[in-house]
Amino acid sequence: MMNVKELSTKLEYTVFALPDPVAQVTDGYTSDLLSDVMGNAAEDSVLITIQAHRNTIAVASLIGIKAIVLCNGRMPSPDMVVAAEQETVALLGTAENQFTTSHRIAAALGIS
Amino acid sequence: MRYCIDLHNHSCLSPCGSDSLLPAVLAMEAADKGIDMLALTDHNSGRNLPAFAEACEIVGITGIFGLEVTTLEEIHVLTLFETVRDALEFGQWIESILPRVHNSARLFGNQFVCDVRGTIIEEADLFLYGPADITFDALIEQTLEYGGLAIPAHIDRPANSVTANLGFLPDLPYSAVESIAMPPTVETLGYTVTQGSDAHYIEHIGRRRCFIESASDGFSGLRSALAAGAVSYLGF
Repeated sequence: MMNVKELSTKLEYTVFALPDPVAQVTDGYTSDLLSDVMGNAAEDSVLITIQAHRNTIAVASLIGIKAIVLCNGRMPSPDMVVAAEQETVALLGTAENQFTTSHRIAAALGIS
Repeated sequence: MRYCIDLHNHSCLSPCGSDSLLPAVLAMEAADKGIDMLALTDHNSGRNLPAFAEACEIVGITGIFGLEVTTLEEIHVLTLFETVRDALEFGQWIESILPRVHNSARLFGNQFVCDVRGTIIEEADLFLYGPADITFDALIEQTLEYGGLAIPAHIDRPANSVTANLGFLPDLPYSAVESIAMPPTVETLGYTVTQGSDAHYIEHIGRRRCFIESASDGFSGLRSALAAGAVSYLGF
């Protein structure tokens, strides 16, 4: 278990929104299909994706996902950042791809 | 004759559509902007089509009755029909294969079904954004088999488009492909290209349109014009 601020600092992510730095994350989920995320991701997860738009925040909020890491250097749309603040979801970014991001987060959370 | 067409618009039924975008408002505004043939294409549902049909009749434009279906691959496809009945039947089938998820109006927006006056008849409970349990290829085939027109939506958009989600445009018997930019910035492989407003707010109505050369402003005229590539664009 780790909070989103610690995770972001440890893995040197770009911070787009960090409305609740101490929100705890316990698991991760990697997917670029939001319907798959909606059906299968666990709450308190960090979502690893390239879907850099507002609907991703809505899905995250519905499930109770605490943080989103946008991979491959994708930049969030301005309304995505606003929604992340409103829905209290941390929005982070990295130049790394989904595979690398997933195994680094798993290692950081001690679940690899 | 040259007719102005706009085949992609939402109403207050779509969760992402404005609550003020009533089917009758769409028809009135579009008629005012000179559109002769107008489609309502809410996400995965045809429940506002009866009100839309009535409104088109009143303002004297040709209503095209459709849905914007989300496929398993989360690709958006416009499916268009000649009659409200056909579109409603197709829409019921699409709704039956959507994930059984309740809408959260706070997160996604309201899903209002209304009559021609804008009175709310019901609020759709099922989350209508999709995806339906059907592949892109199968949806194209089913739509055409059903007598409809199948048009992959906004193929030049970075999300929910065939180009973005599959990485290429498969060789299938599309009725046309829709592009936001004109000329298109992605490969269209010689398919007829249409432009539509994709209106989610009143101020979007009529923002994109194109023109067909056709003997009539009916559905069969539209079908023939798209098949023949008899389409022209503003500024081209």
